[in-house]
Amino acid sequence: MITSGLIGALLWGVVIGCIYILLATGLNIIFGVMKLVNFAHGQLLMIGAYIAFTVTTALGLNAYIAVLVAMGTVALIGVGLERFTFRRVLGADKLNEIFVSLGLIYVFENAAVLLWGNTTYQISSPLQGLQLSLGQDVAISYDMLSAILIVIVILVALFLLLKKTKIGLAMRATSQKSNASMLMGVNIEKVYIFTFALGAALAGAAGALYGILLPFNPAIGALPTIKAFAIIIIGGLGSIPGAVIGGLLYGIAENTAVYFLGATWQDAIAFALLIIVLVIRPTGILGEKGE
Amino acid sequence: MSRTFKNSLGSIKREVVNFSRSQKFYFLIAAIAFAAILPIFLTTYVVSEVLTPMIIFAIYASSWNLLASSGQGSLGHAAFLGIGSFVSALLAIKSGVPPIIGLFLGSLLSAAIGFLIGLTCVRLKAWFLAMVTFGFSVIIVTIFTELDDFTSAVLGFPTPLIVGRGLPFYYMTFAIAVISIFTMYLVMKSKIGLAFKAIHQNELEAKMVGINTAKYRLIAFVISTFFAGLAGGLFAYSIGYIDHSVFDPYYSFLPLMMAVIGGLGTIEGPIIGSAIIVTIDKYLPRIDLILGSLIGREGLIPLFPAVSSVGPPLRMLGLGVFLIVVVIFAPKGVAPLIKKAYNYLSSSEEKPK
Amino acid sequence: MQKKLIIVIAIAIVAVAGIVAGWQLTQLPSAEARPIKIGLVAGYQLAEGQDMDRAAKLAVKEINDAGGVYVDEWHTSVEIELVPIDTENDSPDNSRGPVTQAVEEEQVDLLIGGYTSSGTLTNQKVAIDNRVPYIITGASSSLVTRRGPQANYGGLPEGDPLRVDDAEGMSYMFHYCTTTADYSTTVVKFFNDTMKPLLDSTYGFDDSRNLRLAILYRNDAFGKGVAADSKSIIETNNLPIDIVAERNYPTDAISFQTDLTAIKQAKPDAVYVVDFIANTAEIIKEGQRDVGLNTVYIAVECCEDPQFYTLLGEYGASQLLESKFAPYAGPPYYVDAIGTYVTNYQQANDKLPGMMGADTYDAFYIAKNAIERAGTVDKAAVRDAIESCSLDQMLVLTETGKIQFSVGTDYHEIAPVTFIEQLVWNADAQECRSVIVYPATAPGVGNLKQADFVLPEGYVPGSP
Repeated sequence: MITSGLIGALLWGVVIGCIYILLATGLNIIFGVMKLVNFAHGQLLMIGAYIAFTVTTALGLNAYIAVLVAMGTVALIGVGLERFTFRRVLGADKLNEIFVSLGLIYVFENAAVLLWGNTTYQISSPLQGLQLSLGQDVAISYDMLSAILIVIVILVALFLLLKKTKIGLAMRATSQKSNASMLMGVNIEKVYIFTFALGAALAGAAGALYGILLPFNPAIGALPTIKAFAIIIIGGLGSIPGAVIGGLLYGIAENTAVYFLGATWQDAIAFALLIIVLVIRPTGILGEKGE
Repeated sequence: MSRTFKNSLGSIKREVVNFSRSQKFYFLIAAIAFAAILPIFLTTYVVSEVLTPMIIFAIYASSWNLLASSGQGSLGHAAFLGIGSFVSALLAIKSGVPPIIGLFLGSLLSAAIGFLIGLTCVRLKAWFLAMVTFGFSVIIVTIFTELDDFTSAVLGFPTPLIVGRGLPFYYMTFAIAVISIFTMYLVMKSKIGLAFKAIHQNELEAKMVGINTAKYRLIAFVISTFFAGLAGGLFAYSIGYIDHSVFDPYYSFLPLMMAVIGGLGTIEGPIIGSAIIVTIDKYLPRIDLILGSLIGREGLIPLFPAVSSVGPPLRMLGLGVFLIVVVIFAPKGVAPLIKKAYNYLSSSEEKPK
Repeated sequence: MQKKLIIVIAIAIVAVAGIVAGWQLTQLPSAEARPIKIGLVAGYQLAEGQDMDRAAKLAVKEINDAGGVYVDEWHTSVEIELVPIDTENDSPDNSRGPVTQAVEEEQVDLLIGGYTSSGTLTNQKVAIDNRVPYIITGASSSLVTRRGPQANYGGLPEGDPLRVDDAEGMSYMFHYCTTTADYSTTVVKFFNDTMKPLLDSTYGFDDSRNLRLAILYRNDAFGKGVAADSKSIIETNNLPIDIVAERNYPTDAISFQTDLTAIKQAKPDAVYVVDFIANTAEIIKEGQRDVGLNTVYIAVECCEDPQFYTLLGEYGASQLLESKFAPYAGPPYYVDAIGTYVTNYQQANDKLPGMMGADTYDAFYIAKNAIERAGTVDKAAVRDAIESCSLDQMLVLTETGKIQFSVGTDYHEIAPVTFIEQLVWNADAQECRSVIVYPATAPGVGNLKQADFVLPEGYVPGSP
């Protein structure tokens, strides 16, 4: 029974899915190249939202330009993170990486509370309130469309970067076999810094888009992280097309479930799916690359 | 099978006898005596709101520590804290089961669920296990709140105290803690514990030397979740009220922080970590007020105009920083540092002339 | 050698403990005049808690500046000392400790505050056991005063874990707040008395057509309580209202598109939103802006706060708010005391007050009045004085025009007057302001209604 309500839920699912894709792709890149697990990745999304909000309110910038600013700033934060925390625990006990990222969750979340307070904000966009009617009582807002477009643009740019540029080649080489690529003269340290910054930039973009579409507060970083992980597990660690499909599927499935079952089961269902996948295939649906 | 068991018992006995002759033993006796006598001099508030939580979380953190020593860093331990809490409290309130028995049954059920969840986790790598365990804690809290008619998890309900508040409750908890932690110590020192360590170091190699990694990982889960449930029951009784907030992610991160900051893998680590974090928890927020009276009524507020209460977020941020600093600079935790300091102090006394 | 060191350290710590204990003993209250310590139980992180804090500070400052509280026993006036009790997120674990500290160590004379139901039900135990008067200004559950032997347990059966068998202790609890039944009653009656007739006349509906109501609520004790109360009031009174959709979401939900879309499918005449400020504002915005659910939304009184109006922006126009304190419905205000409070609050804090603070503010004056009538800070006498309180109403209106605590089945509750406001866009403020549209009159105030209720622009009724 395809109702306009269901279509509306599906469209919204696609938009949310796109934001998840950005977040998951950033995570994917970092994991693929550095074999690093960062549970605080969603916090970068949250910071991205706040930075975009700050530049729009304090400097009066257009919300969509703020997306670029957020990307740049969060990328810089990513460089700092890599250099001062993750680099020191890389490679050793995997548990240490988990502990550090947990600590970072608390640091980021509470820093945001101290700097901006617990109030919920939303970024006001110039396209606010404008909708495109698709007929049959279904409409999509221009903000939603812009978000989808921006995600597509970013993904295409990312694809080109990985396939056509030197640094992209270095990243791919490192993700396959970091020892071999070191022998080939690849500067591993530089690759790591760039990779982490790139992943962070994607998270920042996801955050800025999130902030335009939804209200946000310091606590929003936690769940998207888990969902991003779920997506890359389902889609396959290190596989970018997998993340895209996974992200879309995830956003749609989540919202459809909410539509029919109510929001209470939303998170539980998401995790149940994840657990089932992992139990059946401990290395994810499409398997791991470069493991 | 029984011969290896006898051998294990024998080796444990030898360990215990050796230990009892060591310096560490006297230290332990002193520590226990200290913890037993100190509360008499302190106010009821400190005993029931500071010391008792320290002991309860020491059990909880130790249970997480045991699991982590097998390489399984669970991010969803609050599920078991909560199951233990609710089952103990519900049994005591609704079926008139004596609270102590309820405590035990709660721990058993927690271990049973731990077994099931452990089954799904045995083949998972560290970060997958972390996500899955977190996922389970979300699923479990959703189940509890949806079954509100049975569990009363949404509004919550008061729990019985078992014994008097303050000193009696403290001593009961203390006794249970000594037994629990000692049991976990025995496990970690036994061959089972060695298997845990081997799996943690390198699971592939452990498999190659013939260790049934799945079996030992499962054992770790069952023992760990049993004691987590036990801590949960005590937690519920000590606060006097239980609701779904016991499943909050904060309670999943707490034992992790305590064990890691104190000293992952050691027996004294979680205890020290619990003492440190509970102290920070209870006393740091007051620093804002104390600073307020020193610097001026506003304290730190002018620095952070967006918030009206600076203490709690500052404290949480501090904990996060503390954890990161420990992991990066002192990955073995604070306990070894204390040992070093103690050795330094006592050896300098013994410096021969 | 090491053994000696251990023993020395142990003795040192025991000695310190002994000194600390001894010092504590000297802190016991004396029989001489001293400041009155009143603890404010609130979650200072939350906007509501901050509002309570500011209101409390304003009340305490006013009282102290005017000479303080006269205590006959000491033949002098003394100041009030405000003791902040921060319960953070108000979970049972976080709310019990601070209150215990305030009661047992700080030795507060009286407690004011309380925010969530589960947090208050937990921390009130400390006050009950220690016989400390507690004026509860939050907590929507009536159990906070109705779980004792008085009031026939308000419906708690034998063996219910929430029962408290301590009649003496429960007598120290007072509920200066509205309960979920209070506000649901007003909302439902509004729909019956005002909205349905307006719909019928505007759209030519037959009188036999029931009003179509959708309820969207947060999945916790508060949300479920309001939803349940609304339904039972409709049923008990046989009101012509149908619940055409009932949806809930987890308390940490941040977007409501899907729920709103589902509600839109059910074609309601109105949507009753039960949540706090941020989520309610988001729901009302998303409903109109993203989902096209152009109906009338009604929010609960805890949204009566400056942040709500700011977040809503122009999406608040013509929407409804059930309230018991309306700082935005004027000037001129329906009661002078409100104008004074708003002015003073704004001067002190550079922002407008919210609802939680209003209860808190009044409570401090209730406490002052009780201590003065009792002539002592002895807690039992103060308790008796609060019970016999007969102050004129202040910021919160009551059915009798006076602040009076019942000793019947609604034990130690007041009979508050709640009303319905409609928001109107104010171009000067670039935000909405409000006008009272229901009920027409209130005791002690006379004419309460400020404007007629109108249907929002672009309003689409439910069908058929």
